[in-house]
Amino acid sequence: MDEKPGWRIGWRNLGRNRRRTWITASGLALGYVAVVVMSGLAGGLVAEMVDNGTGILTGQLQVHSAEYLPDRNLYATVGGRDGVDVETLVRAVASVPEVAAATPRVFGAGLVSTGSATVAGVLMGVDVELEPAVSRILTTLRDGELPRAGHNEILIGSEMANQVAAGPGDTVVLVAPAGDGSLGNDLFVVSGVFETTLTDLDLAWAIAPIDALQTLLALPAGRIHEVAARVDDPWAASDAARAVNAALTEVLGDDLDAEARAWTEFRPEMVDYARLTESMQWVLLVIIFGMAIFGVANTLLMSSFERRKEFALLLALGARPSMIAGSVLAEAVSLAALSLLAGVALAVPILVWWHTAPPDVSWLYGGFTMSGGLMRPILRVEYPWSMLGLTGVSLFFTATVAAVLPAIRSARIPPADTLSGR
Amino acid sequence: MKLPLCSVTANRIAFRSGLLGSAGLALVFLTAPTLAPAARGQAVDRPPPDATPSEIVDYVDRLMRGESSTGEVLMEVLTENWGREMRMTVSSLGTEYALVRILEPKKDAGTATLKSGTEIWNYLPKVDRTIKIPASLMSASWMGSHFTNDDLVKESRLVEDYDITIEYDGSRDGVDVWEFVLIPRPEAPVVWGSIRYQVRKDDLMPVWARYHDEDGSLMRTLTFGDFRTFGDRLVPATMRMVPEDDPGEYTEVRYENLEFDVDLAPDDFSLRQLRARN
Repeated sequence: MDEKPGWRIGWRNLGRNRRRTWITASGLALGYVAVVVMSGLAGGLVAEMVDNGTGILTGQLQVHSAEYLPDRNLYATVGGRDGVDVETLVRAVASVPEVAAATPRVFGAGLVSTGSATVAGVLMGVDVELEPAVSRILTTLRDGELPRAGHNEILIGSEMANQVAAGPGDTVVLVAPAGDGSLGNDLFVVSGVFETTLTDLDLAWAIAPIDALQTLLALPAGRIHEVAARVDDPWAASDAARAVNAALTEVLGDDLDAEARAWTEFRPEMVDYARLTESMQWVLLVIIFGMAIFGVANTLLMSSFERRKEFALLLALGARPSMIAGSVLAEAVSLAALSLLAGVALAVPILVWWHTAPPDVSWLYGGFTMSGGLMRPILRVEYPWSMLGLTGVSLFFTATVAAVLPAIRSARIPPADTLSGR
Repeated sequence: MKLPLCSVTANRIAFRSGLLGSAGLALVFLTAPTLAPAARGQAVDRPPPDATPSEIVDYVDRLMRGESSTGEVLMEVLTENWGREMRMTVSSLGTEYALVRILEPKKDAGTATLKSGTEIWNYLPKVDRTIKIPASLMSASWMGSHFTNDDLVKESRLVEDYDITIEYDGSRDGVDVWEFVLIPRPEAPVVWGSIRYQVRKDDLMPVWARYHDEDGSLMRTLTFGDFRTFGDRLVPATMRMVPEDDPGEYTEVRYENLEFDVDLAPDDFSLRQLRARN
């Protein structure tokens, strides 16, 4: 004798009205697909934002003097007024396993002028050899060439180039307050023009070799403002920062005025957006399955109503009400299992496709910036591993909750009245 | 300085060290209401005994403005990171024209700034170039000093921007003074929440000006001293600005000589004159 006839009855009942079963299962499956794919897209959006927000310029980790931020004080160089052995510092940062590459930088506030036209901007001195391993700013070169170390050459943004009417080969004057209180000024040749499509960068940034900018700013070679580093997994940047701080202490001693911080600290708005996106996934899940619960309940109410005489007969023959309720619940769980299988069969190929080859929807909308990061018009998906499971659990939960009322009503059918047609 | 990609803009760059060079210098000495010496040729009558607070402040304000003048000035700036002195010549014609040329230190010698109307030009002898300063930078710090360019380029009179009342009328350290409080009018294009201004009664010389933000917090104090007569004018030959948040820092300006009502014409304030190395 079957010890659990409720499961067999519930499962077989799905086949009685296959059209209704498949319609209901399709609704649940599509709900599963919607939640999972939307979560993947949201994850892709966040990944794109973090990737571009940190990858174009800032890097995922930065080392500064403790006094450098937030004002970016010209005098607050790593290691204080005495500076530091830059090569040793960069090597110490890069020695941390999570760090893929590191590069030194110097910053100044200055004017870029052709005489009649002048633009105020940020002057960034970079190690032209190391920088491309950390940020993509030098790969956005549109015209000309990269500046060469040891030369008064400068790379300017495309909007700045328009403002001062200068291009590769033209000479501009750089004016910047220097570290000795004087007004640093010198001629620089525009080696190239970069274009990130980020207005702030393209208008207000100019990039020179680090040694040339240090000379302009009257800063010795050992005085730098920043070591930027690339961490391949952005979400591991906080751990990497702790490891870098430990490495700096070990290599350069406790007294070194240097502090590593992850992008999650210096770009908190992106963390906030990621959290918001995560919470929106839950809202989406609740809305979709909250709607589905009524559809499933309606289906099971119809199904159990049609079978009320069967339930009455079983009760009359001695079946316990719990077995009747169990069969209805089993039907709901079986329906959920079918739906989940269908949902996974639909969602996984979409996720794999959009993850490996994100469709370009630039025909629909152009690129845009979000939290300082350039967003490409693509349907990029990140695998929503946790949501794959959580949505499946939600699907079963939805089906089970929807079956509670039909199960209770079925278990309470009066056998005599129902069989006699009253 | 904050960087655009760090959710800030380049406009917030701290030009604390003074990008404008001597752009504001001419203005601070020759047109700014609280700093410039008076010029002969200005008819500035002492206000009557029953003058209103606005009339008294306006008198001091106009007394301190120049019409045409030349002079030599020593400016000392002390910050927590560096200290330096600059000697420079200044000349002005009305509020429209000013020319400043740095004489010392050697590194900056020859650097000159021309104000002509609303335009500011810098000449940089090292690169032998003149550059036009964008108007958007006029809110920046001036020459690494503790004066802001907003102080320096303003040409309007205090009585036009502020409602003025007497806060104190009496003796301070044995000297009879008035202490005025200046509250900006709603439409006035000024940055301060209020200014307090002490003036000596006997010779109507300013003693100090205290600048408060909109919350009423004291931001900086400008102290006048070394009252001397240049030509036929009594003026404060020394002015020291001390920021409240860095009381160890200051900028002090000292007039070494001044001549008023000199023979100057608009042609003396041309780009060609800016580039002249004398």
